[in-house]
Amino acid sequence: MNLLLFLLTLTLCLPLYAAWLKEDIWKTMLAFASLATKTSILILVVSVLRDDWMIGIVGVLMLSVGNAALMLLAHVIKRLEML
Amino acid sequence: MEETVLLVIVLLLPLTASLVVTQVNPYHALVMRGVLGTIAALIYALFGAADVALTEALVGTMLSITLYAIAVRSSLSMRLGVLEGSPVLDASTLAARQLLQRIRQGLQPQHMRLELAAYANAELLLAALRDREVHSILLEPGDETADYRLVTRVPRLQTLLAQQTLVCEVMAP
Repeated sequence: MNLLLFLLTLTLCLPLYAAWLKEDIWKTMLAFASLATKTSILILVVSVLRDDWMIGIVGVLMLSVGNAALMLLAHVIKRLEML
Repeated sequence: MEETVLLVIVLLLPLTASLVVTQVNPYHALVMRGVLGTIAALIYALFGAADVALTEALVGTMLSITLYAIAVRSSLSMRLGVLEGSPVLDASTLAARQLLQRIRQGLQPQHMRLELAAYANAELLLAALRDREVHSILLEPGDETADYRLVTRVPRLQTLLAQQTLVCEVMAP
């Protein structure tokens, strides 16, 4: 199980590297989306491992609301390029 | 083993914080702020602080960066007033296209946008500049000059546009 956590942490570093490259704003947004989903999955895995549903609810909320926030931010940036 | 994983995740926090600080483009910095908020929420959740993690995810990541994106979008722009029916509005002539491109190139190092505002006649255009509705106005080529005339009320804009060899007159307040 610890190996699973370690692998998840390792995959967390991949979008961070992609965000560090500073290319297109959309690539950074993509890295952000990937990272937001990965952290929520990591929280969900930890909540199952510890059998702690309080953390589990936080993971579920971050997974659903985080994506909505991302859509909102993407729309603001898209309108910016249209103007 | 779990302590090692926790240590690695906690080390990601100063790493992403330094990424936020080193960004030059304000929009990139905002997205990196979102990344920082996500990592912080993960750490809070792993340490058992579910309420703090939820607040960081909802307010620190979702609300603040969306509001900041709107604030930066509204403030980092140059409003240019033009006459209605001017070729600058739809970039239909070569001279208009080149002028717009040079203005945009001049504003780009500051990550500013160009926003066009149309006015019905020359009097309204001058009044808009005087009433601080726009930062600069563009006067059409007339009898005296064969070229477009840029008039601004912000001296800093004149400095920025002078780097693109654009002549810009500053209106006295």
